[in-house]
Amino acid sequence: MSAPSARQLAMVLDLNKCLGCQTCTVACKKLWNRDSGSGYAYWNHVETRPGRGYPADWSEAGGRDASGAVTRGRVPNLDAEYGRAWDFNHQQTFESAGRPADEKVWIRPAGEPRWGANWDEDRGAGRYPQDNHYFYLPRLCNHCTHPACLEACPRGAIAKRREDGIVLVDQDACHGYRFCVEACPYKKIYFDPERNVATKCIFCLPRIEAGVPMACARQCPGRLRFVGYRDDPEGPIWKLVEKWKVALPLHPEYGLAPNVFYVPPLAPPRLDAAGRPTGEPRIPLRALEELFGENVAPALDTLRGERAKRKRGEASELMDLLIAYDWKQSFALSPGAREVL
Amino acid sequence: MRKTLDLIVAPTAIQPGRYVSTAYADRTSPSVRSATLEVEPGPEGRRVRVSWSCPTAVRELGQETDRFVDAAALAIPAAPDTPWVTMGAPGKPLEGALWRANRAELLRFRAEGLGSVKREAPPAHWKVLAEWTAGHWSVTFDLAPWPRLDQSPQLAVAIWRGAADDRGGLKSVSPGWVTVAP
Repeated sequence: MSAPSARQLAMVLDLNKCLGCQTCTVACKKLWNRDSGSGYAYWNHVETRPGRGYPADWSEAGGRDASGAVTRGRVPNLDAEYGRAWDFNHQQTFESAGRPADEKVWIRPAGEPRWGANWDEDRGAGRYPQDNHYFYLPRLCNHCTHPACLEACPRGAIAKRREDGIVLVDQDACHGYRFCVEACPYKKIYFDPERNVATKCIFCLPRIEAGVPMACARQCPGRLRFVGYRDDPEGPIWKLVEKWKVALPLHPEYGLAPNVFYVPPLAPPRLDAAGRPTGEPRIPLRALEELFGENVAPALDTLRGERAKRKRGEASELMDLLIAYDWKQSFALSPGAREVL
Repeated sequence: MRKTLDLIVAPTAIQPGRYVSTAYADRTSPSVRSATLEVEPGPEGRRVRVSWSCPTAVRELGQETDRFVDAAALAIPAAPDTPWVTMGAPGKPLEGALWRANRAELLRFRAEGLGSVKREAPPAHWKVLAEWTAGHWSVTFDLAPWPRLDQSPQLAVAIWRGAADDRGGLKSVSPGWVTVAP
């Protein structure tokens, strides 16, 4: 496994507040990821759960085995799993603007798309009105403490920065072998076939070095993202992960020690046959545990307890933090010295 | 000179990083079992042709994420005791020419151990002619003048079969250095 970093930058996402608006996705894509060879690739995206996710069914395999070795994964297929970036007929649509309505060319993608990022948005599961449900799961590179991608690269082209634990690809050293894509169970490292290199989230490194939160966090209308260092007891990450224990890693069983954490979603109750609320949450606990591990139930209990306190008018540090009354409290960064790469 | 080479699978156990060595431990046979090596004198130096059976040619990456192209490489030792299977060693370099089916130009490379390969643009006079006919690749490396190749009594060959997801250390290789007539 790789040597640990001196500090670890981390992010917490409160899934109770995610609107599924994809503003984070667009902010990231527009800022970093506009190369023509990575049109299909979203360093940050929001997927609907339950659902197949992006790339499709990414969570079905991966991570470390009992011996600690990274198990063999797969390189996703562009059509079947990622979804090919759509080409639109902008020019024909523009040129037909003055024609009668029945002769206008309407904007549409070329070909017949069959899958893509966010293809199954808002479908969810269950039966209306008894137990239909879904929630949004924004995903990005977890900048793992023990990254599978780093371990998979025979070129040594992937490194974890000592000062903040950000995982980066040296594209000058990358030969496009894609063992990293294969090994990452979160499928958050991508291949650019035009440049024959791997690409991934850089945790907005230049912004972080200037003390500015990542674009996905800063642009989030729902204020659901918290950013800071794991070891800062005054920052939001330590409070949510260590103190209140309501922020949980995604698929901890993969054994990579991810540094993006999620506050699991509370859910309204299921209805019985007569339409009366039961004590059962609509989102099955088991489904959440499959994503976030065995600590979901105590985390949800803590959230319910603190929410009840706040409703009674009592103080709750946790609720105040999650509500983000003072948005600046969501980010605890300090400008650091710029590393010369 | 014409030789038929029984290729071996490059050992995955020695690949750098812990992933390939364990995840591909089941790769025990080469995806290309044999190749023909021809070394001919040319007007300015040697010309080397490598040919092998390849039922499904992969010539382009296109826009695909999970496609790997066919490729072949020649390597020659750049020190008297350069090891082949580890792509050289620190202080014991090897160098060579890499052909990839999706590139018109060769790449020149140099290595001093696994994971240390450095690729660079080739000399202007390096040429390659690659043909895939009836399920066979024939790749002619026209590298002369290249004194190191012309003087070397040894050559090695590596072949990557894209359809078998070969890349990096997943390759079929000659069983050590192949002695060629000087």
